[in-house]
Amino acid sequence: MFYAPETAPIDLPTFKSTIAMPYTLTPGRSAGTFLAEMPNRRIVGSRFAGGKVIAPAQDFSPVNGDEPEELVQVPENGELTAFTRVDGVVIGLVRLDGCENAFAHRILADLADCKVGQRVAAQWASEDAGTSITAIEGFVLSPDAPVGEVKPLVGPAEPLGVINYSMALDYDHAYGPYYGRMFDELKENGVVMGVRGSNADDALLPPREIDDITHKRTGTWKACADTGTIRACSLINMEVYGQTRPVPYAYAEIVLDGASTKMIHIIEIDDLESAKQTIKPGTRVRAIWTKGERKGAVSDIERFEVIEA
Amino acid sequence: MGLSQVAVLASAQTELRPAWRDAQHIDLISSVVTNVFKGTGLTIDDVDFVIDSGSDVLDGRSISNCGFLGALGAHHKEEARVEEDGLWGALYGVNKIRAGASIGLIVAYSKPSESSVDLYWSSMVEPFYQRPVGFGQKAALGIQAQRYLAAHGIKDEALAEVVARRWAAAAAGGKVAMGDAPDARTVLASEEAAAPLTDLMIARPVDGAVAVLIGNADVARRAGRPPVLITGMGTSMETHSFAERTANRLDSVSNATKMALGKAGWASAAAADVVETSGSSVVGELLALEGLGLAPAGKGLDAAQDAKVNRSGGALPADPIMATGLVRLAEAAKQLSTPVAGGAKAPAKAIVHGTGGVAMQTNCVFTLEV
Repeated sequence: MFYAPETAPIDLPTFKSTIAMPYTLTPGRSAGTFLAEMPNRRIVGSRFAGGKVIAPAQDFSPVNGDEPEELVQVPENGELTAFTRVDGVVIGLVRLDGCENAFAHRILADLADCKVGQRVAAQWASEDAGTSITAIEGFVLSPDAPVGEVKPLVGPAEPLGVINYSMALDYDHAYGPYYGRMFDELKENGVVMGVRGSNADDALLPPREIDDITHKRTGTWKACADTGTIRACSLINMEVYGQTRPVPYAYAEIVLDGASTKMIHIIEIDDLESAKQTIKPGTRVRAIWTKGERKGAVSDIERFEVIEA
Repeated sequence: MGLSQVAVLASAQTELRPAWRDAQHIDLISSVVTNVFKGTGLTIDDVDFVIDSGSDVLDGRSISNCGFLGALGAHHKEEARVEEDGLWGALYGVNKIRAGASIGLIVAYSKPSESSVDLYWSSMVEPFYQRPVGFGQKAALGIQAQRYLAAHGIKDEALAEVVARRWAAAAAGGKVAMGDAPDARTVLASEEAAAPLTDLMIARPVDGAVAVLIGNADVARRAGRPPVLITGMGTSMETHSFAERTANRLDSVSNATKMALGKAGWASAAAADVVETSGSSVVGELLALEGLGLAPAGKGLDAAQDAKVNRSGGALPADPIMATGLVRLAEAAKQLSTPVAGGAKAPAKAIVHGTGGVAMQTNCVFTLEV
């Protein structure tokens, strides 16, 4: 990089990772009622002081933050105000009759047949879509759709409280020249390689081009031992989301012999009381390598264990 | 004592590539942070604060700047992250210098090649009504374009000409990795992204990093060149509800421009000799030019032909999401400080535009002067 900013683009393997987060979303009263009414095939809007109606229902005006006075039932017919096509699906803005706003939904028609101002009508999904806006499958072009009227919402459904939701994002992280060599050395040679600091013999782990503290170029590569010293630790006896092994175990920050930075790893323990005696800052430990073919990953070291004095 | 003037002292960029497969974020960041000092006589020790811009969602980790502090040169310094385009990072930095700091380092970076850009945009829209029906950045840009073309009777051939022009400019600049720059026919023939927009009519996500060093007027004077002063700044945001925004206009660009011009004391953006904009699509670029006041409504195409607009190529050939606006600032400052041939008129004023959000929800405008 800093040495060779003119490197040619090359295709290298990436580190695959996924972040999948569980959420409980709170729709609030208006959206909660709108969604709860989807199985009843009623479209809920919000009416503001002065008579302005927007749909789908909102707890506040997206324009000026006003609170609505009441929820209403809005018609299923309206007009198309704009449209596009993404991945073969036509998406348009639809203004339902009696409403001042438009909102995005699928338009179940060929793009070539779409015109601004065209009358459209909701098409309900034939299959049960539950309490989702996709219970409206989309809007079909309907030139003769009568102009509907906004009506009071009689006997509204209980608004949904929370909605379980999840989102997963996939990543292909580049290793870069420094992490790349570190993982290659782990895989090919079973050696933990760092680079010397800008002004020190001890190695930085993981290796990097620029020393974090001095912001000067780091030094040459150095193999570290697979033995080291605990500098900080915690005995984990509580189960939390994201753990990779059963409790109890020790979480330790270990400085490998030859390195200056701490690496985080795990020490297996039999019981908390004996672990408290042996696992503490200053304790000497050795890496236990994972059996079988090395993968070029941190998991090639299965865990650390205490070196008996 | 009055408020200090603030100058752009130097900038550094990596090449902007579809994918930097052989470099991590920290590699790109440490490269520009190291390079930005070269020739300035300054070092990282002179920097009072570091402001960085990037996206946790694109980076794939929470508060990702914490992992990049060393590369940023921010060890034990005041550091702050702006989860918005780097041009807002620069705005934060300018205000810090006006409040008494001397030198600030502004860094923005992006590696969209590591994640799904469509999901990044999807994560920005509303989860109950918009996400389930497939509404996202592409749909919003498509609707924006469909309305604009219909309202002004513009053909997509004219849009393709603008796109080809921007790619040719980026190719000439040499900082954007590309094969042959597409001509207008290729732009039209590329796949449909969001009708009427083709793939090449939407800003191309690229990887890269940019660092900009800013300083107060005393530092700038000592740096030995005529300083490029930041004389005006403005920002403004549209409602999140896309359908409620004014059709065929980016009100927030107009508002941000008005604010920046007022501070700079310019009567109009037409005073600028250099214009650098960040359009999320080619129609977005035309709307931005109109919002800046460089063309009346529907006449953005005329302004887009002007040689002073997006000499760097703008955002269409290279959009390092979250860094694009700061790249525009770096490019504009460079154009103002590059010596011109004897007898030629040197550019003296620049206007810079950055954007963020779905269909350019939020906008930021800077004026620069030498």
